[in-house]
Amino acid sequence: MLIVGAGFAGLGMAIRLKQAGIDDFVILERANAVGGTWRDNQYPGAACDIPSNLYSYSFAPNPNWSRSFSGSEEILGYIHHLVAEFKLESHIRFEKNVEDLSFDEKKGVWTATTDKGEKFAGRAAVMAQGPLSNCSFPAITGIEDFKGHKIHSARWDHDYDFADKKVAVIGTGASGIQIIPELVKQAKHVKVFQRTPGWVMPRPDFATPQWNKKLFEKLPASQQAMRNLLYWTHESMALAVIWNSPLTRVAERVARLHLRRQVKDRWLRRQLTPDFTIGCKRVLVSNDYYPALQKDNAKLITWPIARISEKGIRTVEGIEHQVDCIVFATGFDVSHSGTPFPVKGRKGRVLGDEWQGGAQAYKSINVSGYPNLYMTFGPNSGPGHNSALVYMESQLDYAVKGVQKILQEDLKVLDVKESVQRKHNKAMQKRLAKTNWNSGCKSWYLTEDGFNATMYPGFATQYAAQMADFEENDYETA
Amino acid sequence: MASIDLDKMLAKIKSTQWALSDIDWDAPGAELITEEQWPKLKDFMADLMWIEHVGARAFAAMAKKAPTDTLREIYTYFHAEEQRHANAEMALMKRWGMLEGDEIPEPNINLRLVIEWLDRYSDEMPVYVLGTVVPMLEIALDGALCTFLLETVKDPVCHQAFEKINDDESRHLGVGFSVMEMQGRGKTFIGAAKMLAPLLDPRLMLGIASYVPLLNKMRDNIITMGLPEERLYAAMAKFEKIGGRTEDGRRNPWFQVIRQHARFVVDRNNRAYHLPVDGMVKLTGLIPRRALPAVPSWVKELTYQPTA
Ligand SMILES: Cc1cc2nc3c(=O)[nH]c(=O)nc-3n(C[C@H](O)[C@H](O)[C@H](O)COP(=O)(O)OP(=O)(O)OC[C@H]3O[C@@H](n4cnc5c(N)ncnc54)[C@H](O)[C@@H]3O)c2cc1C
Ligand SMILES: [Fe+2]
Ligand SMILES: [Fe+2]
Repeated sequence: MLIVGAGFAGLGMAIRLKQAGIDDFVILERANAVGGTWRDNQYPGAACDIPSNLYSYSFAPNPNWSRSFSGSEEILGYIHHLVAEFKLESHIRFEKNVEDLSFDEKKGVWTATTDKGEKFAGRAAVMAQGPLSNCSFPAITGIEDFKGHKIHSARWDHDYDFADKKVAVIGTGASGIQIIPELVKQAKHVKVFQRTPGWVMPRPDFATPQWNKKLFEKLPASQQAMRNLLYWTHESMALAVIWNSPLTRVAERVARLHLRRQVKDRWLRRQLTPDFTIGCKRVLVSNDYYPALQKDNAKLITWPIARISEKGIRTVEGIEHQVDCIVFATGFDVSHSGTPFPVKGRKGRVLGDEWQGGAQAYKSINVSGYPNLYMTFGPNSGPGHNSALVYMESQLDYAVKGVQKILQEDLKVLDVKESVQRKHNKAMQKRLAKTNWNSGCKSWYLTEDGFNATMYPGFATQYAAQMADFEENDYETA
Repeated sequence: MASIDLDKMLAKIKSTQWALSDIDWDAPGAELITEEQWPKLKDFMADLMWIEHVGARAFAAMAKKAPTDTLREIYTYFHAEEQRHANAEMALMKRWGMLEGDEIPEPNINLRLVIEWLDRYSDEMPVYVLGTVVPMLEIALDGALCTFLLETVKDPVCHQAFEKINDDESRHLGVGFSVMEMQGRGKTFIGAAKMLAPLLDPRLMLGIASYVPLLNKMRDNIITMGLPEERLYAAMAKFEKIGGRTEDGRRNPWFQVIRQHARFVVDRNNRAYHLPVDGMVKLTGLIPRRALPAVPSWVKELTYQPTA
């Protein structure tokens, strides 16, 4: 067995395989440490925006979360704890950057080739390289001309001292609004360059009291109850976020009130008011973002960026904003229509070519023509309102069922039928057309042509139901 | 000017950006402003700068209501470009020693009323109202004021700045007239009655009440500076000609309204219009400053400094 990537997905896969009695697998990880997202995103203020009790695996609960929304470091700690507790270390091969994944139909074997030419083979493969693991710089003219310091949020430079520095932050998405309040505390001056404002909801963040941790420890059922409560709270948000319903208006009202309460100046409020339906892009949560923008040493700039120059950022109102450092909180390269490395299936098929017009899979996890291959976070598996790990758990269990079948029946090929996949996607796109994501705003959820290959149009519960049974008839075997 | 491809226009706008720091504001030539010119030029520049700034805010409102993504982005750029013009004009004023301390010139009372209106109501206005008023003002600026300024002022830095400003303006006009035509395409767009309906909206009436005296006041300021009235007539004629060059353009009811109004403004002999309006100018002059709310914070974003 091959697993590519040692983030939440790859490690979770490993744990579930072990628990199912399958021990013969390796995890190929291009970095020299585990953790993926949470290893890379160590910028000040980095934290999850789904409560920790839900943003963790139900098969490995952690009674000790210090806050309702834990910081990046604590999440990374939890991941390290998973590795130790389930004895995964010996399975992981670090600094193995997979550059090619090819299937040999006769042998029924997947081979992964690394950038150094090393080869690893397995009867099944799991692509768990993460949807947001390649960070991207925006295409702004002159970005190479800048002589100051450049930092990407997902590759934080911990040695850079912000004290006495003038800093620009480009990007006001999920990462941006977490970084900005921290930088405003540290730096001399922070200019925030915003293209489009997002919807910001208040965040009910608090420290977990000691008695609570004790309770969770002594009475795991109480933590499960908490998780259930959080789960259903988030599920109900789907009604507001995924579809345009009366609850959507309610959610927008809440966000507007939050803005109104925190920002008194009418023009600043106007600059911060989104002009798209809530949920069309990722909903942001923060209590300290708006106040930070109004500190004396901070300024929101909404003029379009004309170019980056040697000394700073030139905006269209004709002014050069000179800074010592530019922080890019500009997100990730998300491939909607390709694969991060070549994936070659039966009869020389190349997945990237087939996905030109937008990625498609069966139940987000298998692709016809690419047998014995499982994807975490595959096409149309993204949650807009609930924990990614809730979705992940059902993917992992589905993959375990597939792998078990391959091993038990000694199959060379377990391939989803083309017709089954087609039918699945037709229904999927029909459902997506009715969602807020497809309501007309540009976001990383959509391809340039507006095809949604990212999100799952429904409740997490529906997704779990979709993944719960492994229909043998959907597959062709050999 | 044929109808233009807005996507190409947006690309063109993005690729022709300039900044205040492209100009050497300390280069020789400032001494070419004569002593006699100076006080009038100071008032003229302050008015001009404020028109640009008010125009900027109007584009911001149009961006909110733009019917397509491309147009929204274009208006977002124009908003910033008008601000750039105001900033550059302020830099010229600084160069000529016309700024008291580092202060933004005080807006006159009529401007204050327009600013107040824009701040409160402009975002609610349908795009075709501002979409017609703005090109009219721009053509007056472009065709009359700026040309006149360049004929009168010999300072090369002023010429350098206005060459850039006028390049921007030609694109604003191109888009402005195209959009007016789009809106005149009654069958595919909106019915005339519906388009004129906002005229009955008290919020728009308030706008008209603040905008009308401003125009008269500015016209007077400009004429004091020596601008021949014919220049304004010529600019209005140009607006009528380009705006009305196609069937679609002429069918845009707002074009008809604004055209008629522009005629009134430039014709100083039209007493039926000017008596009451000049009365309004006088009246507004009596409003005590204290009675006005604080200027909105977008006004404080103006700066003559090329770097910040
Ligand atoms: C700042 C931030 C905040 C987030 N907050 C939340 C949240 O609150 N709630 C939520 O549900 N989700 C959140 N997410 C989404 C988050 O990405 C997922 O929840 C989850 O962590 C993804 O895990 P993963 O294992 O799939 O991917 P990753 O964590 O990205 O792990 C993938 C691993 O694969 C490795 N890899 C990649 N390519 C190769 C290759 N070619 N060869 C070998 N190895 C490779 C990478 O180095 C990495 O270690 C957040 C994401 C970010 C960036
Ligand atoms: Fe202008
Ligand atoms: Fe203009």
